Amino acid sequence: MALTNELILIASLAFLVSILASLVGQRLGMPVLLVFLIIGMLLGEEGPGDIHFDDIQATHLVGSLALAIILFDGGMATSVQSFRVGLQPALGLATLGVLVTSALTGLFATQLLGLSLLEGLLLAAIVGSTDAAAVFSLLRSRGLELKERVKATLEIESGSNDPMAIFLTLVLMELILAPQDNLGATLALAFIQQMGLGAVLGILGGYAIVWLVNHLDLPPGLHPIAVLSMGLSLFGLVAILDGSGFLAIYLAGLVVGNHPLKGRRYIGRFHDGLARLAQIGMFLVLGLLVTPSELLPVALDALLFAALLSFVARPLAVWLCLLPFRFPWREQLFIGWVGLRGSVPIVLALFPLLAGMEQAHTYFNIVFFVVLVSLVGQGWTIPALARWLKLEMPPRTQVVERLEIDLPGERELELVGYELAANSPLVAERRPFPRLPPSARPVAQLRQRELLDQIEWQDLRAGDQLLLIVDPADLEALDRLLAPVETPNRLSDQAFFGEFVLNGEARLGDVAAAYGLAVSEQERDLTLDAFLRDRLETQVVVGDRLDMQHVQLVIRRTEGSRILKVGLKLKRTRPR
Amino acid sequence: MFPPQFLAVERVAAGAEITSKKRLLEVLAGLLASAHPQLKAELVFEHLLERERLGSTGLGHGVALPHARIKDAAEAIGAFIQLRQPVDFDAIDEQPVDLAFAMLVPEAATEVHLQLLAHLAGLFGEEGFRERLRQASDPSALLRQLQEGAGPAPGG
Repeated sequence: MALTNELILIASLAFLVSILASLVGQRLGMPVLLVFLIIGMLLGEEGPGDIHFDDIQATHLVGSLALAIILFDGGMATSVQSFRVGLQPALGLATLGVLVTSALTGLFATQLLGLSLLEGLLLAAIVGSTDAAAVFSLLRSRGLELKERVKATLEIESGSNDPMAIFLTLVLMELILAPQDNLGATLALAFIQQMGLGAVLGILGGYAIVWLVNHLDLPPGLHPIAVLSMGLSLFGLVAILDGSGFLAIYLAGLVVGNHPLKGRRYIGRFHDGLARLAQIGMFLVLGLLVTPSELLPVALDALLFAALLSFVARPLAVWLCLLPFRFPWREQLFIGWVGLRGSVPIVLALFPLLAGMEQAHTYFNIVFFVVLVSLVGQGWTIPALARWLKLEMPPRTQVVERLEIDLPGERELELVGYELAANSPLVAERRPFPRLPPSARPVAQLRQRELLDQIEWQDLRAGDQLLLIVDPADLEALDRLLAPVETPNRLSDQAFFGEFVLNGEARLGDVAAAYGLAVSEQERDLTLDAFLRDRLETQVVVGDRLDMQHVQLVIRRTEGSRILKVGLKLKRTRPR
Repeated sequence: MFPPQFLAVERVAAGAEITSKKRLLEVLAGLLASAHPQLKAELVFEHLLERERLGSTGLGHGVALPHARIKDAAEAIGAFIQLRQPVDFDAIDEQPVDLAFAMLVPEAATEVHLQLLAHLAGLFGEEGFRERLRQASDPSALLRQLQEGAGPAPGG
């Protein structure tokens, strides 16, 4: 009994410390997953925690479960709208990309580390996929808003490339342990079974979950748990049938997240929290498992390996896979660098250990070190790189204190509360008769905890609290009026999109006439929409820009692939 | 710094009572045309309106900056109106406009035109500047604010 209590205390303290430390890490711009991993190591046998933990089977269970939960949540949070620009490139990266990355890294590894070809390839396959947890937590962190094409591609890639890496790892292990004669056929069959089953059952399962949740009469509190257990059942079922459970649960999450669902807010919040819990738990356990002093002997090899992976293999694979999609070079470079490795490689490195392979311990340590290097080197530099490559966008919605009310069966409305600050636009700049977005209705205004008799639009003060009801679609517009502005100047709308706004259907010839631009006779009659799509040669997204003599055209608002609004940015000559 | 003849107190209005975007453009066109005998208010209005068809010149934050290139103008001319009640201007942020600066430039002077526009847009992008213009209560105070805001150095 004493042991039980001790375990509960230690585990919950570990979580608590991790949560608090992640706050500190965030201040330092440190990737949170790295923080958890380090805490796990500190708790372990060689840190002050002095916990001896080497249960590979348990680690594998925790890792797989956590990964399934993270992928489920990641799928739910991915909007199908991002498929327009992200799906095809991401699928290429998730399949061919993983293959090319693993093959290249494997070949190098074989040469440099003196491994056999199959062993080198196995090691490379283990680190072949980017990490969904790491990429999601990075891309959804506060204050980093990326261009949609980059964001969508990276998210979908990281959600869907784990199955490929897992598949390659399993196949290569089989080949090493029991050499096969009919290699090609075995591979193809296994691939079809893993991916085919995963995809089909995942999508069907997703629809089944949606149907069940909407038709079962459950108390609201049970919805999230019902969804979770259905998702995990699907994962287990598919995996037992030798399909890819990870692919299945990611796709199921995608289907669930993009269909109307009873109690969706509860479900969303619950899974968001749970995914975080899973991240912390998994990285703590992985950190606990490793013996840090064993990392040192492999450090040099691992560094070399990591360098090959991130400077050569991944960028090459990305370049190759993105060739047909004509991504601008900045975006290719960025995607090439965001090859974050995380928990998946470490979990995969457990497979050889479980199978009792000879070199398994060395593999594990190398992989662990590569992940550390990737989290430090790539994770830490990504925000700066995004800025340097000019891929940042003006933030769309601020994080505001928000109460959401869910009216069943009615149109979606949210009750939102703003704590006004001196730098909230309507406070900073008293404007006669501000216009609220069409669906917004003020509810109440509080000043020093007192309810005012009516909303005093002419006298909004810092510290006041303002409550409104609004359609979620209008939240962005409302934020622009009431949320404190903390955007750095380089990302203000004027700096980013330019001074003026043009309509997508305006004729290029007319725009050229208004600003004294030279355009060819054939292009004169094109609309800006058609002209820009033609010139940019890619699926356009907000933030894409085209230089035209002394102005720059910046895509500002789109609907599907149609361009609705274009920013006109005047190039300034510096005063001499 | 504005060009010497760019603004004059006769082309600045304070507390104007105007109820529509079209009317606002008409009044601005009238002010601009008053600068030169050969300029016709209707023609200026036509040009400003044509530019609006390409996309609203509302900058956001309650400011509009209608502008056009015109053959008959000998030099760049500006006009400014502060409205008592804001009017709808189809601005990108959907906020009505209560500060409107209109500008005409001769067809030949593209580079100057664009630099001046960029300078003005930058100026109106400053919260403090907008606030001071809203506080000013008569044309000469407005003109002073505009000229002070434009600063002594050329360019932006």
